[in-house]
Amino acid sequence: MKKDAQNGITFMQYIFIIHGSQVGTGVFSLPRILADKAGTDGWISLFLGWGLSVIASILIVLIFRKYPNDTLPELMIRLFGKIVGKILILPVIFYFAFFVWTILTSAMLFIKQWFLPMTPDYVVMFLLIAPGYLVASRSLRILGRYCELVFYMMILMFFLFLFPLGDSHWVHLLPIMKEGWLPIFHGVFSAIYSFLGFEIVFFIYPYLQKRSLAIRGVIIANTLTLLFYLEVTLICFAFFSPDGITEYNQPVFNLLKVIDFNFLERIDMLFLALYLFELSTAWLPFTFGAIFSLGFLFGTKNPARYASLLFLLIVVLSFFLHPSWNQNDQWIIFSGQAGLWFAYVFPAILYLYVLIYNRLRRSESL
Amino acid sequence: MKRAYLICLLLSLCALPGCVDQTYIEDISLSLLLGMDLDEKNRLVISSTSPVFSKEAKEKEENTIVHAVSLRQSREEFDSMITTLTSRGKVQLLLIGKRILEHPDWFKLLDALYRDGKNTTMSRVVLVDGSVADLIKFKPKDKPILPLYLLKLIDTAHDQNITVKTSLQELHRQFTEKGMSPSFAELKKDGQIKVKGTALLDRSGKYKMTLNADQTKLLRILQNETRGVFPFTIHLHEQPNKGFFQENITSFYPNFIKVKIKADYKNGGFVFDIKIKMGISMTERIFNYNVRKQAPELEKQIQEELQNQIRQMLEKVQAAKIDPFGLGLYARAYEYSHWKKVQDAWGVAFSDATVNVKVKVRIRAMGSTT
Repeated sequence: MKKDAQNGITFMQYIFIIHGSQVGTGVFSLPRILADKAGTDGWISLFLGWGLSVIASILIVLIFRKYPNDTLPELMIRLFGKIVGKILILPVIFYFAFFVWTILTSAMLFIKQWFLPMTPDYVVMFLLIAPGYLVASRSLRILGRYCELVFYMMILMFFLFLFPLGDSHWVHLLPIMKEGWLPIFHGVFSAIYSFLGFEIVFFIYPYLQKRSLAIRGVIIANTLTLLFYLEVTLICFAFFSPDGITEYNQPVFNLLKVIDFNFLERIDMLFLALYLFELSTAWLPFTFGAIFSLGFLFGTKNPARYASLLFLLIVVLSFFLHPSWNQNDQWIIFSGQAGLWFAYVFPAILYLYVLIYNRLRRSESL
Repeated sequence: MKRAYLICLLLSLCALPGCVDQTYIEDISLSLLLGMDLDEKNRLVISSTSPVFSKEAKEKEENTIVHAVSLRQSREEFDSMITTLTSRGKVQLLLIGKRILEHPDWFKLLDALYRDGKNTTMSRVVLVDGSVADLIKFKPKDKPILPLYLLKLIDTAHDQNITVKTSLQELHRQFTEKGMSPSFAELKKDGQIKVKGTALLDRSGKYKMTLNADQTKLLRILQNETRGVFPFTIHLHEQPNKGFFQENITSFYPNFIKVKIKADYKNGGFVFDIKIKMGISMTERIFNYNVRKQAPELEKQIQEELQNQIRQMLEKVQAAKIDPFGLGLYARAYEYSHWKKVQDAWGVAFSDATVNVKVKVRIRAMGSTT
């Protein structure tokens, strides 16, 4: 497949696709999970998680530096041959599709919990997906434009969290590192899950117009995500008591509930409705990963067909499964663990493999 | 293909307005005030007040009082009594009867308000000294409907710092935070409704004592919550006090208040050093005094009077083994290893703590008369 210039994405689009796919529903419960594991030092874990995800994403870029026109499926076939390569793509497709499914079900559960408790699952799911299909059935460039637009729309969200600052108690954060490093390391595992999403670089790198900026791009994208997570986590820690924060499933919503203007109350509702845009930039890149690999597996390039297939499957599944919060939590844990292997461990192994592979080939040609 | 998709999308709109859980605004009774109390037989009584939007109705508010086992269950009881569905998304006040506070762990009863996402957590929590049912039946002729009247009463009183405004959200923090004890506004109906001050509870939720309006201001300062106005009126004992009208009175309000709190651990006990710095503007001084020349002396007298008041309040609060100031937060922040040993019984540890308060007052304006 030729990465034609017409389909390429700009540096900014590249950043916002990565950043968008990292920020999903996880941020709502992130402060609680970090507080659970690392107490009020959880925010330090975020820095460590950020460091690890930056290293992993740079590794991915370094792998593809050597094969600048390849996406992940093409690289697999180049390295392992046609049959083994195609078999290796299968879990990748499953991984991306499963991520789409988990993000969509949790979005659906949030909508049902806060707005439409009695509306059937599949109706909510269908309404969520229908507009997304318009983006998913097109090229990567459309996705890039969409992610960039949503990012600009969501900048206000960053400032919204500053309103509860008046009622915060920063003394909660002291003393820093109250129990030493051990709990912080426990928190790192939760932190790195929340940075998952950068593995989309496996697919979008060859489309980047200026590939020399790829490393800078992943660092900026990860840092944007870190800033957002850090803001939310620190303000939640300062607002809720350290012992009380673990009693809220999604502390971020309780934080937003507190903001009330004379003319507007219940910002949490408004926020969730707007946040659906942010969520769409999380599941759409994963959809792209899944249908791109599907297209590669079957040798035809028709994103619209694969997108409708995937989405239909999801709506039908939600009709029959009726996902519950507990199930969704299990799926998130499962996809998080899969992500740990796919996004953090796999690039390291692949990088070593590519290094050795190249050295062997060079010595052969000598 | 494109057109077909568009038509499908438009058709899906049909599903939207038909979302199964639609409710008409006419069918909702907006509960603005929620009351919890125990009757003589110690049964839980839940009451609710909501505005009536109807021209025919003579009364503009609707009171419902039911016996229930829990807050959520009371909603079904309400729905069986009034024609509309009860909504608790706009509850402005939660009144709690004093009889409830005689029992520990009543806080768990509020679970429904936190668990159900449709409920607001911004409702102000208020203690009623007396029966909640009596209070909500009160219909003063010269006041707006009761929920709005009480709301204004609490909010303005809080702006003057003569009581505290504790929202449900804040109450959750105060109950879960090991380093402090809960406190909220207290009302009493004595012919007329009056803000009594601030009720202080222990960590289990049992009522301990009430701080009056003046003490509440000091409480707020020690909590390092210095928003709003702090109008003080004090007696200076070093000034002459002769005649029928007490002459040693002066009033002032601080332009700024800065509070510095330090925690330390010495000789087996916590030591808190609290430094309060304020610049004041005088609004009343009944005795004669030359402020232009002898300001430092007057400042010193005011300082000592304030320090005395704070010391007296602290003694009472410490004797009750509670910490409404949240000084435990500072103990945790600066003496973590010692804090960890006492965190589950902070009230007891705090009653043994030494609290040194130093007030520094600077007169910034003496008013327009000398």
